[in-house]
Amino acid sequence: MAKDKRLQGGLIERVLVRPELASVAGVVVVWGFFAFVAGDNGFLSLRGVATYMEVAAELGIVAIAVALLMIGGEFDLSVGSIIGASGMLLTILVVHFGWSLPAAIVVVLVLTGLAGWFNGFLVTRTGLPSFIVTLATLFAFRGLTIGGTRFVIGRTQLGGLQQSQGYDMIRPFLAGDIPIAGVSFPVSIVWWLGLAAIATWVLIKTPFGNWIFATGGDGKAARSVGVPTRRVKVTLFIATALCAALVGIMQSVAFGGADVLRGELREFHAIIVVVIGGTLLTGGYGSAVGAVLGALIFGMVRQGIVFAGVDADWFQVFLGGMLLLAVLVNHAVRRRILRLTT
Amino acid sequence: MKRTSTPVLEVLSLSKAFGRVTALEGIAMQVFAGQVTALLGDNGAGKSTLIKCLSGFHAPSTGAILLNGTPTRFASPRDAIRQGIATVYQDLAMIPHLSVARNFVLGVEPTRGRGLFRRYDGRAADKTTREGLSRLGIQLRSTTQSVGTLSGGERQSVAIARAVHLGARVLILDEPTSALGVSESAAVLRDIEAARDRGVAVVFITHNVHHAYPVSDRFTILRRGRLLGSFVKEDVSRDQVLEMMAAA
Amino acid sequence: MRLRIAESGVLSGRPVGRHRAVTALLSFALMWCCLPACSPPEHSEEGPDLRVIFVTHGQASDPFWSVVQSGARTAGREVGVRVEYQAPESFDIVTMAQLIDAAVASSPDGLVVSIPDSGALGPSLRGARDAGIPIISINSGSGAAADLGSLVHVGQTEYEAGYAAGQRFADGGVRKALCVNQEVGNLSLDNRCDGFGAALGKAGGVMQILAAELTDPTESQQRIEAALRTDSTIDGLLTLGPTGAIPALHALDEGGHAGRITFATFDASPEILQGIEDDKIQFAIDQQQFMQGYLPVVLHALYLRNENLLAHEVLRTGPGFITAQNVTRLRELTRQGTR
Repeated sequence: MAKDKRLQGGLIERVLVRPELASVAGVVVVWGFFAFVAGDNGFLSLRGVATYMEVAAELGIVAIAVALLMIGGEFDLSVGSIIGASGMLLTILVVHFGWSLPAAIVVVLVLTGLAGWFNGFLVTRTGLPSFIVTLATLFAFRGLTIGGTRFVIGRTQLGGLQQSQGYDMIRPFLAGDIPIAGVSFPVSIVWWLGLAAIATWVLIKTPFGNWIFATGGDGKAARSVGVPTRRVKVTLFIATALCAALVGIMQSVAFGGADVLRGELREFHAIIVVVIGGTLLTGGYGSAVGAVLGALIFGMVRQGIVFAGVDADWFQVFLGGMLLLAVLVNHAVRRRILRLTT
Repeated sequence: MKRTSTPVLEVLSLSKAFGRVTALEGIAMQVFAGQVTALLGDNGAGKSTLIKCLSGFHAPSTGAILLNGTPTRFASPRDAIRQGIATVYQDLAMIPHLSVARNFVLGVEPTRGRGLFRRYDGRAADKTTREGLSRLGIQLRSTTQSVGTLSGGERQSVAIARAVHLGARVLILDEPTSALGVSESAAVLRDIEAARDRGVAVVFITHNVHHAYPVSDRFTILRRGRLLGSFVKEDVSRDQVLEMMAAA
Repeated sequence: MRLRIAESGVLSGRPVGRHRAVTALLSFALMWCCLPACSPPEHSEEGPDLRVIFVTHGQASDPFWSVVQSGARTAGREVGVRVEYQAPESFDIVTMAQLIDAAVASSPDGLVVSIPDSGALGPSLRGARDAGIPIISINSGSGAAADLGSLVHVGQTEYEAGYAAGQRFADGGVRKALCVNQEVGNLSLDNRCDGFGAALGKAGGVMQILAAELTDPTESQQRIEAALRTDSTIDGLLTLGPTGAIPALHALDEGGHAGRITFATFDASPEILQGIEDDKIQFAIDQQQFMQGYLPVVLHALYLRNENLLAHEVLRTGPGFITAQNVTRLRELTRQGTR
């Protein structure tokens, strides 16, 4: 009986249920707004583009992984703490203990991978909501970073990474600049877009991607047809932690050091960006491209406010407003997909 | 129609207790290939506990489950699936946001290419889905629409077709028609017959005798956790089944 | 976006979706429209000819930084400079560096920054210098300011200020003191504690650092209370700002330690001045941060309009001490938000 009122799935209809739709519109609106308000203040200049792309890239790298995790039905609030922990650990290993930079990076990635596995293990074994579990690890990892750093070096901030062995070899890859018409674009943008491409491939073009959607859409149902939902989730938690560590490492290399507070609030920024990008909070639906666009919006607003000459106090108002708007639009989209009768 | 061969699935004096509460006691049941076995009973008769034992969610407290005459234990639902027992639950093992085709091949996705380039083969998935559906005579507008856009009856049909496609020897259907309208129920009943004709042993759980009687070959009736009786269709009329249900 | 969603509503025959989308769009539009209106009313009669951007690490919600901001605004009004103020939502050096980049890209006439981590902010500040934008640093970073191209640093040298506080404690006979750090990771605050500890140590005393939660006064209070309860030999308490001082004040009151423990704090706020008047706080170290907002604007204006440059590398606005003797007059000024 439902068949009669359904129409052929034309191109327009297929575009309208894409998760990224709202964020594409958001990018256009936000860009248009700042181009209008702050265009002659340098927002449109290449240097302006570089500053908001850098903000977008650093948040975007984390957001892409968080998007996959959220599609898989889980949250990770500990990413901010992992950014802080990885940067600090790297700096301590290199500056305080004299390790070479490449070796320290490998160790940091292994340890943060373990932290991600620990998150995933706790969530899948206890069956507790990941919101609570990773809220706990948010504080635990941050506390461990502050306490451990103070214990080892007696301070909370450490620099001097530039003098380390292997720094000149590593820097171009993690914190280098790509000059375009005299303006330097950070190499993190390449990582960001590259990871987005990989994530999109995984989601759409691999069986594992299908499992991510299924795990987040209805974990019980997925398990009942043989999808290893635990393995899917643990893998996603590890990937998320690794992306957070990558950002922490990049920042430390770029700034030549770290402090124990790096990455604070990034977990929420990442979730906001992912939701703006059209991924459902309830899981099972979303895209990596959406997270890229969400991060771009975040970057444009964060930096655009400076160009517009508005005091930073208002940034959070806009961020909250956009989140609310994105959730409203996503809600409408979700109803379209599921075609629930009102 | 009547077969004397070994039943695909046989339950022998099965009991299930949860702590001190006995949910099932002394249940016996036979399920044959190419037949529909109706499992009837009012709410609370123990139907869902029995199918959870058959699909590997619960282990029976006492008694045995025989698969092709061999005593079997299911370690998990996955194990049961591996051994050829597929269950379609009332709340449906389908992912609403995924397309019909992606649901259909979930867990057994076809791929192309090798190594790093091994990738999900959407075209093959689509083809498999269309074949699987048409094998049971199910018509859908498109296999790329999300399952959320399907009606309840259509979802049941797809789930049944998927179970058959995945090589289920025993297909357990938990109240497949209870939430459906008249025409949709008829469609699902047609799917049940189609699955049966392909040699699948169907266990049809329902409390609606009018749906069960026309398509079923055997009837097993439960009442308050005990077996009220098992009958072959030739030996019992619709009214007799109704009477037993009413008494129960 | 509006067009497309409306179109789809027609397609599916459900006008509900369109209604929702329009509501959402309206709220979005409303939000954006208020943006220019929210910007400070700097465009006065003639319109200022200079634009100076502050990028600091302190949030405007912090009572300390709101006085800096008020100083900057006052100067902006008085000398005809458009003042803009940017800061991350929490202490976040990465975001701060990115805000400086954006500020530089918007080509202001002058830049005012605090430098809590010279290593991390160095590249961004060099970018400003390369773009030919004059920088004046304030508050934190007096040591690195000149190297990073700052014309002049306006602030208090942290180690010396902490040392001065430690001397006063030692003179008062304190043997074991807590230094409550509410901004862990900020080198300047660490320096205050270090200076404080050094002065105490010279007199044979001991100093311990206690980390407090910047955004949560209740938790800070409980942490201080717990620390005082577990070690009864503590007879001195130094906090590094109002965000630490006010919870500490409550902790002392509720723990019944008031009077027994020597308590002093960096920076002043109405509550702190009340505490000094009530004899609960022995003294406050005042770095007179109003000047850290006010002077850079004036100095930028002098430099940009008249090529005037100070000979000082560091213009010290502190430490000054607020005690029971001078507190009454200062309280009035604090109420006006200028002290």
